[in-house]
Amino acid sequence: MELLEIKNLNKSFDNKEILKNININVSGGKIIGLLGKNGVGKTTLIKLINDLLTPTSGEILVNGKKVGVETKKVISYLPERTYLNKNMKVSEVIDYFKDFYDNFDENKAKKLLKDLDLDVNEHLSKMSKGMQEKVSLVLVMSRNADLYILDEPLGGVDPATRDYILDTILSNFNEKASVIISTHLIADIERILDEVIFIDKGEIVLQGDADKLRNKEKASIDEIFRRMFKC
Amino acid sequence: MLVKLLKYDLKYMIRNMSIFYILSIFFAITTRILFSLEQSVIINIISHISMGCMISMLASILINTMMRSWIRFRDSLYKDEAYLTHTLPVTKNELYNSKFFLTLIFFFIGFFVIILSLFIAYYSKDNWLAITNFIKNITIGLNMSTAFLVTMFIIVVFLEIFNAIQCGFYGIILGYQKNNGKLGYSVLFGFISYLVAQFLVLFLIFIYGLFDSSIMELFKTAAVSIDVNSFKILLIIASLLYLVIIYVMSLLCKKSFNKGVNIE
Repeated sequence: MELLEIKNLNKSFDNKEILKNININVSGGKIIGLLGKNGVGKTTLIKLINDLLTPTSGEILVNGKKVGVETKKVISYLPERTYLNKNMKVSEVIDYFKDFYDNFDENKAKKLLKDLDLDVNEHLSKMSKGMQEKVSLVLVMSRNADLYILDEPLGGVDPATRDYILDTILSNFNEKASVIISTHLIADIERILDEVIFIDKGEIVLQGDADKLRNKEKASIDEIFRRMFKC
Repeated sequence: MLVKLLKYDLKYMIRNMSIFYILSIFFAITTRILFSLEQSVIINIISHISMGCMISMLASILINTMMRSWIRFRDSLYKDEAYLTHTLPVTKNELYNSKFFLTLIFFFIGFFVIILSLFIAYYSKDNWLAITNFIKNITIGLNMSTAFLVTMFIIVVFLEIFNAIQCGFYGIILGYQKNNGKLGYSVLFGFISYLVAQFLVLFLIFIYGLFDSSIMELFKTAAVSIDVNSFKILLIIASLLYLVIIYVMSLLCKKSFNKGVNIE
């Protein structure tokens, strides 16, 4: 059984097709780059997997189960925007995650926050957007999930912190889990990718093993992407 | 999980509502103290300002309970916070029920604070006697007990307000299914569902009136000539109808909500 199966998925808004006949299989133990230009449907696809949007047609299965309570227990999702209640302190958000997610590791979260010099007693409203994004990432990576879905995890952070975040991602998921990272900052994440999915105009245009693709094209993923999506 | 959801919803509401409760009781105390002082022009003006502040706080409790319930519903289920709410391992029904019970709890709290504030500001043996006599006169005229009249009045008002709030929830659910103009559609759908609910209550009372000429008089003449028993029945029927409508509306809300959401 695949960790994530997406079959013939379509999504339209006002008769405008945003995603067209998406088929994806993701097995365990992989880091997958969901790559594409802005506005091609990456976030829409991720939101569909997380039950934030309703498919027009098609099916999404996680561990063989339709999207619902059981799939939410095993998916750890980082949205592209800051989504935590800003009236809360970091410590309160930790309690929130502890309350709702059985697989949340409080000690890991506190350690990661300390590494990033983030104060657990600080209110989110008093933190910068970048700091809030770091808190969100720490919370998401502190869950022992089967599937991590990270939507633009590097977008709001400084380049110096990006490497730390990528290392955090690499060292904080178990062998059986998979990570889907959506980004257009391909050069930054290239080194950690096992597989890539290129998406354009709502369709998957390329899907495969990152190393095989590099060998075949004799170029980096970043270069392949630039060639393919040259304006 | 419902209890956990409710815990965080309650924290949110307490954070937003406690200031109104505190100020309402504060102005109730100052009103009582100021009116008990020897009156002068200045003291009299300050006393009335304090009373005005207290009354505005009491109104704020009602309005804010209603508005905050809608805002909490929208923000938690359809705005940025929804990215967290909808990815929690809880059912859509639990999410809805949490907001439903939150509103219920805060209406009780609000009602209690209003009564408490009025009691603090105005309680005296004379005032109490005047109120009980006033209610007694009505109940004697209507041939019913004071307890029955007060209870039924509170229940009907409470259900009516609660029905309005739930119509707002339904409006938000339907409005946020649209791709554009979500807020405008929410208000529109909420208003329409409120009108439909009110019309339904009226229509069902009219149907009952076909079998009770006294109640039918309410639809036929301008004069209030309803007999006592019919009035009692009218209160009971109105309460039951509101209860049914609230229940049906909550089913409709959950059904629409379970069809899925489209978070921006």
